Amino acid sequence: MNEFWEQTILEPLRELGRQAVTSLSSLMGMLVLILLGLAIGWVAKVVVYRVLRALQFDRLCDRLGVGPEIERLGLARSSSYLAGQIVQGVIVLTALLAGLTAMRSEWTQNLVERFFLYLPHFLAAVVILVAGALVSRFLGRSTLIAAVNAGMPSARLLAGLVRFFVMTLAVVVALDELGIGRTTIIVTFAITFGGLVTAAAIAFGLGARELARDLLQAHFRPTTPPEDKDTMQHL
Amino acid sequence: MAEEVLAAQVREQVAALGTAEIVVGIPSYNNVRTIGHVVRAAHAGLLKYFADRRALIVNSDGGSKDHTREAAEQAQLDTQGLLLVSHPLQPVHRLTTPYHGVPGKGSAFRTIFQIAEMVGARACVVVDADLRSVAPEWFDLLLRPVLERDFDYVAPYYKRHKYDGTITNSIVYPLTRALYGRRVRQPIGGDFGLSSRLVQRLLSRDVWATDVARYGIDIWMTTTAIAENFRVCQAYLGAKIHDAKDPGSDLSAMLAQVVGSVFDLMETYSNVWRNVFGSLPAPLFGFPFEVGLEPVSIDLPRMRAAFAQGCRDLRPVYEQAIPAHILKELTDCASLPPERFVLREETWASVVYEFALAYHRRAITREHLLKSLTPLYLGWVASFARQTEPESAAQVEDRIERLCLVYEQLKPPLLSRWDAGKR
Repeated sequence: MNEFWEQTILEPLRELGRQAVTSLSSLMGMLVLILLGLAIGWVAKVVVYRVLRALQFDRLCDRLGVGPEIERLGLARSSSYLAGQIVQGVIVLTALLAGLTAMRSEWTQNLVERFFLYLPHFLAAVVILVAGALVSRFLGRSTLIAAVNAGMPSARLLAGLVRFFVMTLAVVVALDELGIGRTTIIVTFAITFGGLVTAAAIAFGLGARELARDLLQAHFRPTTPPEDKDTMQHL
Repeated sequence: MAEEVLAAQVREQVAALGTAEIVVGIPSYNNVRTIGHVVRAAHAGLLKYFADRRALIVNSDGGSKDHTREAAEQAQLDTQGLLLVSHPLQPVHRLTTPYHGVPGKGSAFRTIFQIAEMVGARACVVVDADLRSVAPEWFDLLLRPVLERDFDYVAPYYKRHKYDGTITNSIVYPLTRALYGRRVRQPIGGDFGLSSRLVQRLLSRDVWATDVARYGIDIWMTTTAIAENFRVCQAYLGAKIHDAKDPGSDLSAMLAQVVGSVFDLMETYSNVWRNVFGSLPAPLFGFPFEVGLEPVSIDLPRMRAAFAQGCRDLRPVYEQAIPAHILKELTDCASLPPERFVLREETWASVVYEFALAYHRRAITREHLLKSLTPLYLGWVASFARQTEPESAAQVEDRIERLCLVYEQLKPPLLSRWDAGKR
């Protein structure tokens, strides 16, 4: 009777207790790691923000065109602050992953492993998006200034289109890197882009026949240009 | 040691010529209509005024496609009609050579200066190849202060139409004068006399791959001469009449290169101009006389429209460079009717200084900043032209003098903000 009691009741209860203690210690370990990560992350954010501000990192970003873009998108109150937030995020994420590893369960191990396999793609996508934002801003502004100096009435529209296309291209490449709806996105982009070009060509052909004829004539059969109304020498 | 840019064949030609006391340089690009006249004027000037000195005329061509080089080589001078008092003792040699490097006037000058150095010239004069008003007397006026009065740099002083040379009148002259304290009225005139000392100094500088090699060469030479304490004077040359302007010339690129060069020089010589307040006249040689000037037509509605579009469409760019109160003044001006369209002198001088500060602190990409100045510049020209329409040349000159004084008055705040490097 005693043996039966020992095997069927007490032993499972002891096993449950051992497992509960193990799980509780893992859980405690995870909580400690996450709390530590949060604390270190907060301190690191403040330190990075203050150091970068002292080094005039915001001015550098403003020159590169990153600062105004961050402000425009409402990402952070300044480039230094955003850099601090990124460092904080990385530390907290690392702590979270370390905490999950401390759980020592198959599910958490699997999650951490998959995260690290996906991380390079994620970072590449972020770099592509940042580079795309910078290039689109630069090309958009170049187009705007050149179009205004050429006296084109639709300068802002043209610059906006340039920015939109460069940014769209960057988003498509970034999503492709992340493996999100790869085929669908490429096909959608090709159809949309092709459609827009065709629509623009038809619109130009139908709505601006005179202009198209004049442009082609000027290119292939140039005639004497009209007299310049402005004969001043600027230099 | 300056980098060698002369081709071996040219070096041989120059070596065969031996020495020359005077070098006349004519940079050219597609100037077949006028270069013959310029070469003949130079030749006549040398025979008439410097008959006893060995001289060389150099045409440095940028790859013209209209037979400019052939026209320069074949230009004949009829000495019978010159009425020379003294018989020429020394022949005038000629040399035509393509230049190498960045396409532009500056690269052509570099080739001319290297040849001048090779032949040991005491004085060098450079004149534009598109001049229709150049006369033999110009060479006397540009060379004699160097050869006989020990000046290093002779800048031109012209009579020009009131609407001509607006970049000079509204930006380069007032700004150079306020910064460096010398009143050189035509700092980017294009026709200059230089001493061998100055030529050597210019050749020793590593600037020939920058905008200096293009439209920036004139202001670079003038600023270098003033800021490095070379002896600078001016020569009255009368009217400056060019060939019809090149329809392909891009105002925006030209303005960006000239203004960019001035702003670059502000960085180079900040230790010089920070100690200069007020300005002094530069000595003027020659006899000022009145001349008839060709009429200039000006398209005011187009300029006002460009200004208004700039204020509207380029606002995000200007917000990076210009304080809000000045931007508001510009925007208000853009909405004025044509008959009341006026941009104040203080506003314009402030705009130029704000652009200089924005360039200094790299508020945005420098190329964008410089090219975005074009609509504002056209607005100033439109305002200036409207206000000066009924005025005589002397009254317009007084108006330019007032603008210069405004630049000088606004210099101290510029200096304090230059050091702070912020708005």
